Amino acid sequence: MSKNMLAGPWFWMRTAPGISIVTAVVVAVIATVQSGPYVLVNVVVTGGMLALVATGLTLMLGVLNIPMFAHGEYFMIGSLTAYYIFTPISAFIMEHPESWLVTFGPIIAILGAMIGGAIAGIISEKLVFGPLRRRSTDNWVMNSFLLTVGVSVLLVNLHQLIFGADFKGIVGYWQGMPVSIADVYISKDRAMAFVISAVIVALFYLFMTYTRTGMAIRAVSQDITGAEIVGIDIEKIVMLTISLACALAAVAGGSLLFMYPSYPTVGLEPLYMAWFVVILSGLGNILGAVAGAFMVALLKVITVEYVGAGWDFVVPSALIMLILIFKPSGIFGSDVRGVLDK
Amino acid sequence: MLLEVTNLNAGYGYLQILRDVSLHINKGEYVGIVGPNGAGKSTFMKTVAGLLSPMSGRVMFNGEDITGLSGSDVSRKGIAFVSEEMNLFVNMTVQENLYMGAYNIKEKKRQNERLEFVFELFPRLAERKKQLAGTMSGGERKMLAIGRGMMSDPSLMLVDEPSFGLAPQLTANVFESLDVLMKNGVTILLVEQNVTKTLAVTHRGYVLENGKIVLEGKSADLAEDSYVRKVFLGV
Ligand SMILES: Nc1ncnc2c1ncn2[C@@H]1O[C@H](COP(=O)(O)OP(=O)(O)O)[C@@H](O)[C@H]1O
Ligand SMILES: [Mg+2]
Repeated sequence: MSKNMLAGPWFWMRTAPGISIVTAVVVAVIATVQSGPYVLVNVVVTGGMLALVATGLTLMLGVLNIPMFAHGEYFMIGSLTAYYIFTPISAFIMEHPESWLVTFGPIIAILGAMIGGAIAGIISEKLVFGPLRRRSTDNWVMNSFLLTVGVSVLLVNLHQLIFGADFKGIVGYWQGMPVSIADVYISKDRAMAFVISAVIVALFYLFMTYTRTGMAIRAVSQDITGAEIVGIDIEKIVMLTISLACALAAVAGGSLLFMYPSYPTVGLEPLYMAWFVVILSGLGNILGAVAGAFMVALLKVITVEYVGAGWDFVVPSALIMLILIFKPSGIFGSDVRGVLDK
Repeated sequence: MLLEVTNLNAGYGYLQILRDVSLHINKGEYVGIVGPNGAGKSTFMKTVAGLLSPMSGRVMFNGEDITGLSGSDVSRKGIAFVSEEMNLFVNMTVQENLYMGAYNIKEKKRQNERLEFVFELFPRLAERKKQLAGTMSGGERKMLAIGRGMMSDPSLMLVDEPSFGLAPQLTANVFESLDVLMKNGVTILLVEQNVTKTLAVTHRGYVLENGKIVLEGKSADLAEDSYVRKVFLGV
């Protein structure tokens, strides 16, 4: 992409990423003007969450070659963890409105969700993916895919068995007046949800680009034998990647608990949406996944707004089919194998 | 003895390729393995480098048993492997690839010293340091692969077919750079199909056929050997 940038913005605007980003921005602006700023707010909040889940998927697919269909369940684990951490905190806040927990309680719950997701990821690697990898890597993509479907079913049913099928939600994380930007009022929870996803995605990008470990993850995704040759401990990187990917999904689930109460299949929608993102943006890079996340969010919000609430899966699916026909590598897909590159 | 391989048997799954291969390299030596296509030369290199686990046999390095260690552990012991496929990180720049080669070196200062050394050896890489490895030409990639191997300051380099697919001029360049490495005190095990050239530059050589060592000796002697001349040089 940087090469195209050098050739001037006009050239860039005629490439696939250029066309889609410009179109998305124009559509967003028109929709906002026509229907009101809440459209934009919804796109930004949903997009931020999707970016987290989709980056996790990209990691799993790019580094481990696993088409992850259990990723929604780590979102669910995040929301469940946050619920069980925040419920007692919020009871405590009711009695002690001056406590520091009023501000930091939600952060604790969301961080807890992230850690819970990371631990769940490590357990899955130890019990499920690791054993399969050591047994045989023949037909890996298919086998690991089937395994993730199994993990998904298992986790959904475990949730139902242990915690029940009811909605476990909270009224809100942060109390107080909505934040107002220009003339738009955004609830504190929504604003914070976006800030959290933005900060995490930015930190994650810096980590992948500049740190020794982040570079090792990229090296494994580009050439696993090469990575082993230079002395990278593959098992360690695999473990780290799975826990990172799951933590990203879980933190999304945790920070959105106020919108999506936890229940067994709460992860399905984010999972499908994140897959739309990955197919749409291709296995190009983190930034591609982030841009794709906001595009899918826009598509979803606009569909709900102008077509009807029942259609928000149909329109993105139709678009995915078109993309698979005309540009199978996705909008930002790179020609060279390897994810997570600039 | 820097490397001592005894009765190595190895292969892929149930398919055995190497049969009782024994080989040794002294410190500072430049040793070649020659043999026809499919003889098992790459299989041998991959087994020593830890990318394949042997069925039986022993690999000693620096007096330490390294049989069956993983590739990353072998690399940490000080063996650098430049594979036939090069296994570069195609979406990283030349410089990033080189830094990855120094993954085992923790201090930034030593990494930079190695980088300077490699850039001196291959000025071409210095000119191209911001270029993505995947966009380099075949010869440049070979240089990068060798340079990346050098970055870890190895005591032994395993180099598999560095001249494969290169134009004669580039082949000469690659051999020259290996010569420079050797003079810098690096021990090298070279696998090549270019028999004449290999026997001309190395100290000692082994002939591998059908997974077995059939001949070994001083390279100069091997080059004169009637069997070698008949089979490989067609004279
Ligand atoms: N990954 C593999 N799986 C199965 N057989 C292999 C594999 N790689 C190489 N072989 C077989 O092992 C034999 C030796 O190959 P190799 O070591 O690459 O030979 P050389 O490097 O001497 O040309 C060949 O018969 C080849 O077909
Ligand atoms: Mg070979």
